[in-house]
Amino acid sequence: MKKKVLIALTKGRLEKDTTVLFKKMGFDISQLENKGRKLILSIPSQNIDVVLAKAADVITYVEHGVCDMGIVGKDTISEMGGSFFEISDLGFGRCHFALAGKKGIDFYKGYGVKTIATKYPNVARSFFQSKKMDVEIIKIEGSVELAPLLSLSQGIVDIVETGTTLNENGLEVKEFISDISARLIVNTASMKLKQERISEIKQLMEANL
Amino acid sequence: MKKNNLIVPEGTRDLIFDECAVKREVESRFKRLFESRGYSEVITPGIEFYDVFTGKARYFQQEQLYKLVDSKNRLLVLRADNTLPIARLVATRYRESIFPLKVFYNQNIFLANPKNSGKDDEISQCGIEIIGGDIRKSDIEALSIAVEAMKASACGNFRFEIGNSQIFDGLVKLLEISEDEIEEIRAVIDGKNYPALNSILDDYGQNEVTSALRVLPSLFGDGGVFEKAEKLMQWKFAQEAIEMLKNTFLFLEGLGISNQITVDFGLVSRKNYYTGLIFKAYAENYGSPILSGGRYDNLISDFGFSVPAVGFGLNIGAICMIELSKSSRAKVKVPDAIVFSENEMDADIILYCNNLANKDFIVENSVLPTLEQTLEYAKRRGIAQVHIMDRNKVQVLEIEE
Repeated sequence: MKKKVLIALTKGRLEKDTTVLFKKMGFDISQLENKGRKLILSIPSQNIDVVLAKAADVITYVEHGVCDMGIVGKDTISEMGGSFFEISDLGFGRCHFALAGKKGIDFYKGYGVKTIATKYPNVARSFFQSKKMDVEIIKIEGSVELAPLLSLSQGIVDIVETGTTLNENGLEVKEFISDISARLIVNTASMKLKQERISEIKQLMEANL
Repeated sequence: MKKNNLIVPEGTRDLIFDECAVKREVESRFKRLFESRGYSEVITPGIEFYDVFTGKARYFQQEQLYKLVDSKNRLLVLRADNTLPIARLVATRYRESIFPLKVFYNQNIFLANPKNSGKDDEISQCGIEIIGGDIRKSDIEALSIAVEAMKASACGNFRFEIGNSQIFDGLVKLLEISEDEIEEIRAVIDGKNYPALNSILDDYGQNEVTSALRVLPSLFGDGGVFEKAEKLMQWKFAQEAIEMLKNTFLFLEGLGISNQITVDFGLVSRKNYYTGLIFKAYAENYGSPILSGGRYDNLISDFGFSVPAVGFGLNIGAICMIELSKSSRAKVKVPDAIVFSENEMDADIILYCNNLANKDFIVENSVLPTLEQTLEYAKRRGIAQVHIMDRNKVQVLEIEE
């Protein structure tokens, strides 16, 4: 009997990509496709249970060791940090963090302290810290693009995929910050207690990307 | 204004009934183990100067420390680690004593975690430190006590992990790069973050050192990894370090835990903390190490006294949690009997209680006003007998369940 493994999966877009990956790996994904309202789904014959959760919760579950592995975007990892192993870049869910502002305006011009609106205050803070710049950061929950339009901030730090939303709202990327994609993370104790099983799953995943 | 007088700060907790009994019982197991092997206990202050924890190497981030100020406005912190205060103690009050020194501790540490993370800010730890002595012999001594401690913890099927920080330290030295760059590589190896490791190492070119570093975090598992490591890293320092780990591995096998050992070449310590052997132990169904330790030969010299040392700490809270989750039997002792007298000024009742207690009976003196209430109390608490004193006569009532 294979050791039982719990995998936390980020709901939404990554969930779809991961389901496709699981299918390629030869897993029986019938429960994942017809999940109804269930939150814990099993992959029969693999002794794997899949937990569906929000991105930040995937990290929390893995860090506490209640889930052995997790699939979560680098954006959430950069924002939350934590101690776990980040063993693989799964390649899907690709986009990047960028600093954006109004078109045609030099963001860095002038000596006044800049205000930045973002859903990712830690990412924004460490980006500006690396530039030795003091900025005021305002946390926004919804469409961050509104903030510079309403003159709440001069810039935003956000995820950029195609740039269409920015463009349609008169904004543009000022500076690239870092790449984002889905990552496979593992609890530090599980890695040692279930090494064989986890390496097996990791290799199978990487072979099917 | 809202008063917080009915709750405890986040990350702390009250321990009552079984939680408390189990903790004391677990602690006494370790105390017995350490004392039986010649270790003596030390207790250090709950508050220390900030400088103790933020020496040359800055082992702690400011954010992790609970701070206070003294009457001269000097910065104090709540004890954030057990080894650093002991290092301070060794470099000062123990300096002239007989070495090697074997000490143990059993006290709490305080670390400020990010809010709502569900992590403990007050952590109960016990462990040992061996200061001075032969390096290999004391490494082996620390390891064997650690294995005994894991057996005593009764955490079931534990896994023991060993590594050697000299391998990573030796490799990065060959790269001739800055401290900051070393820390960057250390962090990604520690997190087994292969994609980030590869992209950082791309900047340092393709050579034997970078290809060894790339593989380092994946070099973990059973005894099979030694062969790979030996082929990969042919430098003298690496061969010596691998040999040392191999011997350690064989020694642990000799202790009868052969299927429970992992070697991890990717074990790197916090900045400059450990200088050789590193070891950890994990228990099933607990997400972080139960035990962790290693050799720290530079730590005490930060306090102006150069002496090698090795030690480990156990997470008492984690061990108690595992103990509480597996057994439902109550650990709090219920008295065998309760003694009641109508006359509260009767000194005989106390003599009677003392007499029973001396016979290893757990006996409670009733402080309730009436016999009726005493009987009711005994019934609810599961006390088997009520002894009723009337002058010199004692009547024993058996209470039915």
